[in-house]
Amino acid sequence: MEHKKTIDAKIERALEGLDGIQRAAAQPWLYSRVMGRLQREEKTVWESIGSFLSKPAVAMAGLTTILVLNLFVLFKQNSLQDATAVAGANQGVQITDSESIIASNSSFDYENLVQP
Amino acid sequence: MQKNQGLDERILVNQLKQGDETAFKTIVANWQDMVYNTALGIVQNAEDAEDIAQEVFVQVYQSINSFKGDSKFSTWLYRITITKSLDHERRKKRKKRFAFVKSLFGEESEVVIHPPDFNHPGVVLDKKEDAAALFAAIAGLPENQRIAFTLHKVEGLSYQEVSDVMKTTVSSVESLMHRARINLKKLLEVYYKEKG
Repeated sequence: MEHKKTIDAKIERALEGLDGIQRAAAQPWLYSRVMGRLQREEKTVWESIGSFLSKPAVAMAGLTTILVLNLFVLFKQNSLQDATAVAGANQGVQITDSESIIASNSSFDYENLVQP
Repeated sequence: MQKNQGLDERILVNQLKQGDETAFKTIVANWQDMVYNTALGIVQNAEDAEDIAQEVFVQVYQSINSFKGDSKFSTWLYRITITKSLDHERRKKRKKRFAFVKSLFGEESEVVIHPPDFNHPGVVLDKKEDAAALFAAIAGLPENQRIAFTLHKVEGLSYQEVSDVMKTTVSSVESLMHRARINLKKLLEVYYKEKG
């Protein structure tokens, strides 16, 4: 019983242990240390761009965009080739290779050429 | 007086936003003890607290434009300090766990052990021993109770100020303080019983 009373008294005293506490002072060189850190952490523009691009989300988004653009161009090219081949077939000519397709798409009228 | 202080704060913050290094120097000089003392109360280690204080001011310099002036500048500083201190503690705990796991596999590693009797330099001389026991018990409190208790007892903030920093209500702070006191009593009882 006496022991409990002693412990309770100690607890109460400990709980008052921070009464009258003064603020601890920082070291006087804190500002120069902070400036030193800031100079070390200063990044160049290219470093900032590099670190932005190397973020996983940004890198993934970039790769996906490139992939989608590639697929789009490929799909467009295929449908253009198909359309030209159909047009060629309708004219009775079987055009398959890309050079012939380009040639058949562009015409040069020698006869009506305006002379200087 | 308080109005003038608020005005000075705003002027300094605006000057820093424009990249004025003299303003930054004044800010560090004005608030370094507040930041250091808060960090010291949380991490209970002078070296770590100094490191955290540096990190806090680096962040202030780098993200001053995100301070919109909705709260007092000191409130914003307290929040950064608490976040940095808790992050620092978590990092340290992770390191300790990793070192422990490494030691299980027989690899040599340095396990950092803090002395249980942290002595705050601002404690009154005849209360050093009691304060050391109390600080050891504070370290065993849940995070929210620890922050509320430290801000109120070590930094001397009112419940209203603590609630502003913790973005909560005054009644929540009262409740946190009440629970902290109950838990501290339990922790101190264990400590004194073991000590004999």
